[in-house]
Parts: sequence; C-alpha cells; structure tokens
Amino acid sequence: MADTTPVSLGKLDPKIPTGPIEKRWEKHRFEMKLVNPANKRKHTILIVGTGLAGASAAASLSELGYKVKVFCIQDSPRRAHSIAAQGGINAAKNYANDGDSVYRLFYDTVKGGDFRSRESNVYRLAEISRAIIDHCVALGVPFAREYGGMLDTRSFGGAQVSRTFYARGQTGQQLLLGAYSSMMRQVEKGACEMYPRREMLDLVQVDGMARGITVRNLITGEIESYVGDSVLLCTGGYGNAYYLSTNAMNSNASASWRCHRKGAYFANPCFTQIHPTCIPRSGDYQSKLTLMSESLRNDGRVWVPKSKGDKRPPQQIPESERDYYLERLYPSFGNLVPRDVASRQAKFRVDEGRGVGPSGESVYLDFADSIKRLGKDAISEKYGNLFDMYAKITDENPYEQPMRIYPAVHYTMGGLWVDYNLMSTIPGLHVLGEANFSDHGANRLGASALMQGLADGYFVIPYTLGHYIASTKMEKVDTTHDAFKASREEVSVRLNKLLNIKGKRPVDEIHKELGNIMWDLVGMSRTEAGLKDAIAKIRTLRKEFWSNVHVTGEPNFKNSELEKAGRVADFLELGELMATDALERNESCGGHFREEYQTPDNEARRDDEKYSHVTAWEFTGSNDSAAWKPNKEPLTFEYVKPSQRSYK
Amino acid sequence: MQNHSDNGSVKTTGWMSSTIGRKQLVGVTGLGLSGFVLTHMLGNMLILVGPQAYNQYAHALVTNPFIYIAEAGLIAMFLAHMFIALRLSWSNWNARDFKYAMRPSGAKRTTFTQRSLWAQGLLILAFTILHLITFKYGPNYTANYGGIEMRDLHKLVIEVFQEPVYVAWYIVALIVLGFHLSHGVGSSLQTLGIHHIRYQRHFKTVSIVYALIVTVGFLSQPIYVYFLRG
Amino acid sequence: MSDKKMNLNLKVWRQAGPQAKGHFQEIQATDVSEHMSFLEMLDVVNDNLVRKGEETIEFDHDCREGICGSCAMVINGNPHGPDRATTTCQLHMRRFKDGESITIEPFRAKSFPILKDLVTDRSAFDRIQKAGGYISANTGSAQDANNIPVPKKKADLAFASATCIGCGACVAACKNASAALFVSAKISHLALLPQGEAERSERALGMVAQMDAEGFGACTNTGACSASCPVEISLENIARMNREFMFASLKKK
Repeated sequence: MADTTPVSLGKLDPKIPTGPIEKRWEKHRFEMKLVNPANKRKHTILIVGTGLAGASAAASLSELGYKVKVFCIQDSPRRAHSIAAQGGINAAKNYANDGDSVYRLFYDTVKGGDFRSRESNVYRLAEISRAIIDHCVALGVPFAREYGGMLDTRSFGGAQVSRTFYARGQTGQQLLLGAYSSMMRQVEKGACEMYPRREMLDLVQVDGMARGITVRNLITGEIESYVGDSVLLCTGGYGNAYYLSTNAMNSNASASWRCHRKGAYFANPCFTQIHPTCIPRSGDYQSKLTLMSESLRNDGRVWVPKSKGDKRPPQQIPESERDYYLERLYPSFGNLVPRDVASRQAKFRVDEGRGVGPSGESVYLDFADSIKRLGKDAISEKYGNLFDMYAKITDENPYEQPMRIYPAVHYTMGGLWVDYNLMSTIPGLHVLGEANFSDHGANRLGASALMQGLADGYFVIPYTLGHYIASTKMEKVDTTHDAFKASREEVSVRLNKLLNIKGKRPVDEIHKELGNIMWDLVGMSRTEAGLKDAIAKIRTLRKEFWSNVHVTGEPNFKNSELEKAGRVADFLELGELMATDALERNESCGGHFREEYQTPDNEARRDDEKYSHVTAWEFTGSNDSAAWKPNKEPLTFEYVKPSQRSYK
Repeated sequence: MQNHSDNGSVKTTGWMSSTIGRKQLVGVTGLGLSGFVLTHMLGNMLILVGPQAYNQYAHALVTNPFIYIAEAGLIAMFLAHMFIALRLSWSNWNARDFKYAMRPSGAKRTTFTQRSLWAQGLLILAFTILHLITFKYGPNYTANYGGIEMRDLHKLVIEVFQEPVYVAWYIVALIVLGFHLSHGVGSSLQTLGIHHIRYQRHFKTVSIVYALIVTVGFLSQPIYVYFLRG
Repeated sequence: MSDKKMNLNLKVWRQAGPQAKGHFQEIQATDVSEHMSFLEMLDVVNDNLVRKGEETIEFDHDCREGICGSCAMVINGNPHGPDRATTTCQLHMRRFKDGESITIEPFRAKSFPILKDLVTDRSAFDRIQKAGGYISANTGSAQDANNIPVPKKKADLAFASATCIGCGACVAACKNASAALFVSAKISHLALLPQGEAERSERALGMVAQMDAEGFGACTNTGACSASCPVEISLENIARMNREFMFASLKKK
C-alpha cells in the first residue's frame, strides 16, 4: 500500500494512513484500489456470522456485486445474538444541539477505552456513525421518535451529550432485522447465498492466503468445504469462556480460535467487560445471565447494608444502616459511574461480606425514592418492560422491594488482531465487529458495540475488501485442492476424537468448572498469584476434558453435545490465553483490573510507559498443545492525551 | 431443508388463488348471506301478524321479476361461500399433518365454535336443502285474497311447525346458524381488513348481537306456532 | 426467596430424524428447582441422560432472554407454555406443581418439518422475508435521517409490529397452522412507515404469495396466534395485511 506508517512492524503493521486524523479515512478511501464492477461477480466472499457486522457486510458487498456466501449456526440469520442488545446506538448527529461532534464522540470513545485503542480507527468509527443512522432509517428501522416526527435521542453510559438513538429496549433487534432484511433482499436477487445451521470449524489457506472454510452442517453432520477469495469473520466475542455470561448459549469463539491456531494473532484477550446490572444467579443449574439495561441506574440507587451478614429483608433495614456506596465514593457521578467501576465496587462489597440475597452475591438497586418522587406510573413508563422481565425471572416485585443485581460478563473488547483495513495477520482473513479488537480499547462505552458492528459491515469493509481483492493475485482453486482435503480430514479426526473419549463428565460440567476458574481468577479483579493459579488449573482441566469428557450421540445427525464439546475445547485454550495476557499486562486499565496496580482509593492505575501497546498473541503450539508468543503494536496518542480517568 | 435462493424476481399470485383472496370471498359472500338471513327472518315475522300479510308478502316476492336474478345471486353466493370455505378448510387441515397430543388451554385455547365452523356450515347446508324441500317445493296449498290466487304458505308453515320433531331440528339448526354468524360476521370484517384498535371490542359485540337477533327472530316463529298458537 | 423442589413426569417427543417415526418418551425430572427456567430444567434432564450415556433431547435455544426466537416447543398443548407474553426460555418452573405430568412436543406444521426431537425447520419464514420483507435502499444512498419525519404514533405502531421475534408460535398455535400473524407483522412494519411506501404493493403481493407457497393454512381469525405470541403482536396486523393485499391486488396491472 502506498501510504502507511513508516516503521516496519512485520505482521503487525496497522497500515494507518498518515495526515490529519479527520482526513485519514477519506484519503485512504481515495488511495485504495478499486475492483472493476464487472469483475466483482467473479469474486466469492465467505462471511461467517450474521449479526450486525456479518449481515450488514453481506448486504453491502452483495449490493456492490460480489458473490457472497453467508454462514450462521442458528436456524435463521435473524437470530444472531446482536438481536439481544437493548440500549441503543451512538451517532455524532448533534440532533440534540448539545455540543456533540465527531471529534467529541471520538474523544469520549478513546478516553472511555482507557487509552488502549487505536486513535485512527476510533476517529473513523465516529465519522461513520452518522451515516449508519441515515442508512438504518432508510431501511425502515423504527427508532424512537419525538411528537414532531424527528428522531429521539437519550444520553447513555455516562456521556454528557444525548447521542444515543434507540428503539425502546430492543435497539439491537431492530438494527439486526434491518440488516437481515437488506441481506434477504440480496438473497432474493441471487447475489447472496445463505447457509444456516453451519458451524465453521476450520480456515483453509492456500499460498498463505485465506481461501476457504470447512464447516459442519449441524443437521446432517456433513463436513462441507466452501471456496472464496476472502473470508470475513463476524462471529462475535468470547464471553462464554466464563460459562455464565449475557451471551447467547451458542455464542462461541471457535471460528476465531481455529483461525488463531492457523496464524491469526489474538489481541488483548484479557480485555473483557463485566456489566454491572444483571440479574444474579439463582443456582448451579443457571445457564445464562440476563442483562438489564444500564439505563436503570438513572433512577435506581445502589446500596448494601452497612453491617456484614445483615439478613433482614431490605424494607426492614433503616436508612441509617444502608450504604449507598457509589454515591459515597463518587459524589459527582454517583450511581452513573462507568460499567467497570460500578462492577468492581459491587464485587468489593460482596467480598466484604455485605452482599445480599440468598447466596450473598448481589447488591440492591432501589427504586423506592424514584417511585416516591416521580410516581409509580412514571417509573413503569420508563422501565416497565425491564421490571416485568425481572419479576418473571425472580418472582419478586421490583416496585415493592429493591431489585437485586450483580455484574456479569457481557462483552469482550479483545479479539483477533486487525489492521486499519480490518484484515488479520492472515492475508484475506478479515475480522469485523466484536470478533476483532480495535475500537474499544480496554473498556467499551455503552451503545458503542452496535455502532462498531454496523460501521465495519456497512461502511468499512466494502472499501477495504475491494483494495485487497484488486491488489492480490490468487490461483483458482476448488474444494478438491489438497488444502481443502486436509482441512476436512483434520476436522473429522477432531470430531471423532471428541466422540471417542467416552469418559464420565458431561461437556457442560467441564464448561462450568472452567467458568468458575475464569470468574474467580480472571474476572473483575485479578492478581499475579491468581492468574498463575488459573493457568495451572485450566491446563489440568484441559487434560481432564480430553481424557474424561463424555460426548453422546452420533457425528452424522444433529448433535448439540458434539457442537458444545468442540467449543468448550477451544475455550479451554482461550481461557489460558486470557489469563496469560492478564498476567503479562502489569497495569490496571478499563475492564482489566490487577489488584497490584491500583491507586490508594482503589482505582485502576495505568502504566502508559510500559503498556501503551496492543499485545497480539501468536499461536506457537501444535495440534495437541497450546503455546503463545506475544507481539506488540505500540499505540500512539496524537490527539487525545492520556490522562487518569476520574469520576469522583 | 431449502437453503439456496431460487434466483428470480418476487413471485406473486392472483387474488383468487391466494388464501387471503379466497378468505375475502368467503367473507363477502358470508356477509351477503348474513344480510339475506336477516331480511328473511324479518319478512317471516309476518307470521305473527296473520295469514294474509304473510302470504301476500311471499306472493309479492315470487312475482317480482327480479326474483330470478336475486335467487341466482343467492345460490351463487351460497355455493361460492360453501365451496371456497370447504376448500380452504381442506388445505387448513393439510397444513398440519400430525396433531398435537394435547389441546391448548387457558388464554391460548380456541372455542369450539371457531374450530367447528366447517361442520356448522355442513349442517346449515343440510338444513337449507331440507328447508327448500319442505317449503319451496312442499305441498301447494292456495289462498285467495281479493281475487288474486296465491300460494297459502302460511298454512304449510303452521302445519310443519306443529310437528315436534321438525321444530326440534329447526331449533337446533338455527342455534348452529347463530353460532356460525356470531363468529362469521366479525371474522368477515377482519378478513376484509376492517379493524379498529379502539372499536374492535364493539365489532365482536355487533357480531354476537347480529347472530342473536337473527336466531331469536327465527326461533320465535316455530315457538309461537307450536306453543302459543297451538 | 424460597426454593421449592419438585419431581415431574415428562412426556417428550423423540424423533431421530426428519424421516424417522417419532414417539413420546417418558422421562422423570427429579429435584427441579422452582427458580429454573423451563430450558434449564431440560438442561438438567439432558445432563442426566449424558451420565447414563443416552442421547440428549435436542431443542433449539440461544439467547435465553426472550428475544432471539429460537426456542420453540409446545408444552401441554400450549406453544411456549401456559403464560401469555412469554417464550419457553422465560417460563419458570414455579408455574408447575410437584408431581405434574408435562407433555412436550415440537411446533407442528407441515411447513415446519421436524428435524430432530423438538427441533424444526422454520426456514419458510426466511423465504417469506426475502419475498419482499425489505426496503430496497443500497448502502450509502440514504439522505439525512431526519429528512423523513415519522409521526410518533405511526413510528410506535410500526415498532410494535417490528418486535416480532419470528419464533413461529403463531403457526404452532393456529388450528390451521397459518402464518398470518408473522407475515402481517412484517408487512405492517414497513407499510406503516413512509420509507416503505414505494414497494408497499409488491411487498404485500410477494410475501403473501410466498406464505401460500410454503403451505401454511389460511387465517380463520380465532386469535390463538396473538394469545400465544411472546411479544403480543396484535390481530390488527392481520386485518392490515388483508387490506394491503386486497388493494395491491386491485391495483396490480
């Protein structure tokens, strides 16, 4: 490429354009090569995953004329887990006339990410954010409106401007259905082919380039090969390494992990986001955690009893014996501190023995004052659906007694390393959405995930993919090529191996055990000793898995036990890498909190001198072993000068 | 499982060959027939007035030159309503090849009336045929009013309505018609796209009231004849 | 929060594959906590089956928070169980009594062939969607979002239709296995918005044609669909679809 950073970084060249930040994306778009419209249909693009990133990329690329094949594990592309996002999507539209701008959104996002993201990427994201809203409205996404018919916005996640567009508590659903419908239009036109109930189990490389995928048909069990000129991974995050998370049950990291094992570097795996307002677990059988929109913290007050082990029902605890700890510790932000801070403080209270509920693993979120001040109707108008959901799950009435909440794993900022063009360290393998690492640094702000997924799919990849296709020569291959045969063979061998262990323990049981290790030792706060312990325990558990797991059923039919087994096997490696990365990063930043590195008043202490970089892990293990080597991409901040975040 | 697109522009079907078009035909003809049974019932109420009024009304109807057009229209509506509805019912049964082991309950259940519309229709068909045999093609008594000779239908009706078996069957059939109307009228409105979030409850009420008026009106006649006229 | 435990007698539909003959299998679910979701109860049953080396019960599920529309089963004759406005994953065991028998079946409709146990193929919905359930706007071509004002009432109504999660409970509940509620929600969502105006007629014609081609039954307005719908899509949508389709047919050249 003509215009990149001058320093040679080997595989980790981020290919960031030079010049003033506000001109970089425009300049880059001009300098990238184009594919002749008539030639586009000769190029097949394989897209794995149909969430916001995948569906929007499938629609846009089909519109341009590429032949697109899109794969998802669900029975319909519309069910990808983007559908569950509640809050909203940020855009620097400044419709509220409250001083928002592209620069401010850029600034907030870099700061919110605790200075561990790439400035150029974030600026581009903020710039594109406006076009996303325009396009989604054109597709018929029914955003909330004001009476005059204009779009409504709200402030979200500590932002001081009102820039979050929303569709009641179902913004993700509406955005995904928009992208899905756009994609289905292309399916109707024959430009896009849809392959539901397919799980990607391997990446196929020819001459070092990503040229295809091996998938398992989840209904027939058949191992199928697909050839393309580029592979787009839009497979989401790895939160389910913790077993319990707000992710969907089938959300997994296997597609990413299979690519990682084949040469794609994994960046900042220890950056995970724990969301503070989730419904606490109620027993060992718990299969997932349910998030409740963070907007609840606008009117709810978080508290625990002042004394340890106070088992009285909340109504009987007098005001003077309650500790509204967020208001006490952060007088200016109060209950509205960022997610990482709110989560950590809840954990501290529980660790002190002041947690509430049957297991002592929750804190109260109390609406009594708001109900008194605004009336029950006003609260119900704002949060009715959340209150109903809470009541349905817990059988407790939040209008009459405080909600019990506890943090849960929600989002993973880390992911496969990509350059400015969203290409990983494997040529031709592009990574979009939550699956990549680039835009959120060490902590993601609320309403930014939807923005990033759609930015990548609608407005970034259509340009950067063209450049890759136009500037790359590749031989014609089909599924009989040796690389494809070898990949199918490798996949079958692994599946049979899983089925033939025939040990004693169900897959879920081992996954739960991994989850406990991850949550306790690689969770909201981490220590050197704990992380070392975690690595040792995960290695033991991995051995246990490969010698004692029991996978029932046949390979040639629908077999969810087999599906889960493959995913857990990968989480057992990824978990180790997450701990390894956390151990290597001797600082606290964003969602990564190391107890050794904190200020006297328990806030995260960053070390910009030593850790202002992305750690991109290279897989150096073999088929049956896992090992990694860290590589560093330095981060420079030319526009937003790193400072200590303070919410006091 | 079909995963691949079948490449091509959006296919459409004609109104008459679509399920919605057919439903709308059933609805329109149903509403037409509902109108007919109401006027039929109102006309027949003359039985409470006396033989002359009743017979002269009947005579005026059959001697009207438009009667053949009206009858043809009625028959067409009846046949269309029946055949299209049965055809739809047949495809509706075939849309589920394996029945559930249990019926839904609580809020999710359907009423027997809703499930048995087709059977009600068949019963009404049987009734209509018998009804025509009994009355239209029944014994031809005559009466003479002011020099005009006409059929004495009144006499026939009184005769028939004094047979307990016929009266019982008539009552059963008319109650079934009532149930058919109580669902059908409102359902036809919905099928034709008439729905209003604020007045929807009232549409249902109108449907039931309509059915009640028709049924009670018709039933009043044999009951009057059988019990009161003696 | 108390925690009552219960034992249940499950009658679960087992079917090895699309062509195989299915049957009910009786399975005891023991020590079920009242706080479990219905799917968590099945997780525990499956866990026990694995320990016995038996094949687990296959069922579709994913988000487990009532929005993805994956979970789909008929519980004692009711799609998604006895509660209104609830998906199976949000149904909790406190709704059942100790010792109760529970019959669990897949959604049954010819257009939703059974793939295995409780898993069905609902791809018919995707095919209906592609037959017109979109607005043809290419990426990059949109004007500023606020150039098209949409009155709040209209926007709210469109949103209410757009919340359909595509689970298929409407089909499962309908005595005719009709997809009218699903299709009408899709048509309504876009028909109510000014952006959807240009393709309004083609959309209604195309989606209804595909709905019929898939072999779903016709709507007889029993209302069982809306009563079973986890997001309570209103019957008003079906009336609107009927209207849209009728006028589109009249206008068709």
